[in-house]
Amino acid sequence: MSARATRRRMRSWGRRQLYSFFSSLGALVSHRLGTLMTSLVLGIAVLLPLGLYVTVDNLRGLDLQRENWGTVTVFLQADAGAEEAMDLAALIGREHAATVTVVTPEQGLAEFQQASGFGQAMELFDENPLPWVLQVTVQSASAEAIEPAVRSISEWLDGQDVVDSVQADFKWLQRLAGLLALGDAFVTVLTVLFSLAMVVVVANTIRLDVANRAHEIEVLHLVGASNGFVRQPFLYLGFWYGLLGALLALILLGLCMIYLAPPLERLLDAYGNTFAVRGLGAGGGLLVLLSGGLLGLLGAWVSVQRYLRQFRLPESRGKG
Amino acid sequence: MISFEHVSKRYPGGVTALQDVSFLLGPGEMAFLTGHSGAGKSTLLRLILMLERATRGQVFVDGRNLGTTPSRFAPRIRRRIGMIFQDHKLLSDKTVFDNVALPLMIAGMRYPDIRKRVRAALDKVGLLSKERSWPLTLSGGEQQRVGIARAIVSMPPILLADEPTGNLDPELSQDLFRLFRQLNSQGVTVLIASHDLALIRAMGQRVLVLSQGRLIDDIAGADVAGAAP
Repeated sequence: MSARATRRRMRSWGRRQLYSFFSSLGALVSHRLGTLMTSLVLGIAVLLPLGLYVTVDNLRGLDLQRENWGTVTVFLQADAGAEEAMDLAALIGREHAATVTVVTPEQGLAEFQQASGFGQAMELFDENPLPWVLQVTVQSASAEAIEPAVRSISEWLDGQDVVDSVQADFKWLQRLAGLLALGDAFVTVLTVLFSLAMVVVVANTIRLDVANRAHEIEVLHLVGASNGFVRQPFLYLGFWYGLLGALLALILLGLCMIYLAPPLERLLDAYGNTFAVRGLGAGGGLLVLLSGGLLGLLGAWVSVQRYLRQFRLPESRGKG
Repeated sequence: MISFEHVSKRYPGGVTALQDVSFLLGPGEMAFLTGHSGAGKSTLLRLILMLERATRGQVFVDGRNLGTTPSRFAPRIRRRIGMIFQDHKLLSDKTVFDNVALPLMIAGMRYPDIRKRVRAALDKVGLLSKERSWPLTLSGGEQQRVGIARAIVSMPPILLADEPTGNLDPELSQDLFRLFRQLNSQGVTVLIASHDLALIRAMGQRVLVLSQGRLIDDIAGADVAGAAP
């Protein structure tokens, strides 16, 4: 084929695409209510996994900021005094990447009386029964690195003579990590399920659309339209539905965040965190829009293909 | 241009619509296809349009053996054929202009060319003033002429018509046949399925007679006038 003929073909193809493009837009606009309802259903379907994702993502950010989750409480021997406590604190500072807070028995007692309400019981003792305590906070770059760091420093501290016992609350960290992993898994499962739902919803909407336009499709076939020409406007339509659904989901997500962020930030401020609720970001938003559009396209394809199959001629018998 | 060689068509379920039909319609020839309803006229047209495949025998259109043509080429065959339907098959949500423009849109023609061609076709059927109208606001005869404009707008070498005068009064029918003859004189091969015997006789063209799926008569144009129905 000559270059000229190829160019002519490309131009014809482009004009047909343009025709399909505008024809699909026309269909959207002429059925405003239906379009809105379909998009809303899709939007809510997208919102659910998206909302959970944003929640889990924000929790993970919280995890990193709570550095005192890497804190080990070290109880010294009862006969150890201020000198041993200070020496050990200095040693920890030299040997490990950690900050140390020294709690004197007096401070400990005051805290205990305040927190437990056993203040009067403590008065039964002649002298302060509490030992010196060190609070060792591991410095770590990431949430994943905290656990091994805490484990290793705990073992080292256990080996020191002046140390009576070491308490590190791993369970708590493990539980949180477990919950986050579960959240991630939920996001994955919901994403798969709701993607499927999206394809099905678009496929069903397009199926009705195709059925409504059966006469038009018949006429198009009769005057020489290929299946591709018949299919194209519906594919665009599916893409629009998916795109609008994703857009609505993003808008709904934004509204939810505007509504939820201030009380959440106040709550977390009360825990001493400077914390800002994170959204999806521009890249994430674009990805959601694109995925929505592509899932819509897939739904439309499934539906139109099923419909067109019934017009398929038996294949040629060959010669004779 | 159109050639049938021992063509039979049996539908699934055992109904035999055509049986051993053979005829040849040369380029630029015009013929009527007649017979009672159920004689196989529509099936014959559907075979030419590649809407069905023959069970036995060969159908040739425009030099191509349809039996060995893959299904994906069917649209290309149909674009070489202008088809006029008894029920017009117009799209009621598109204007007359857009209806007629449909085959050209499918071909991916440039809009200025589409405009020129559509207006020429509408002018030919006398409906240029109605290009912005909606099909449902037109009379039956006008709708039929819109269908004809759509069939001829891409200047196909073959024109098929299925009972084109079905709902028209005699005068309009005569106009229509005159238009067919005019197109035929410009070199278009024309095949018209009709049972309007009076008109067929008046036209003096070749007539193919179908009965119960068999081609029982093939009368040359010169012998038509005055022949028994």
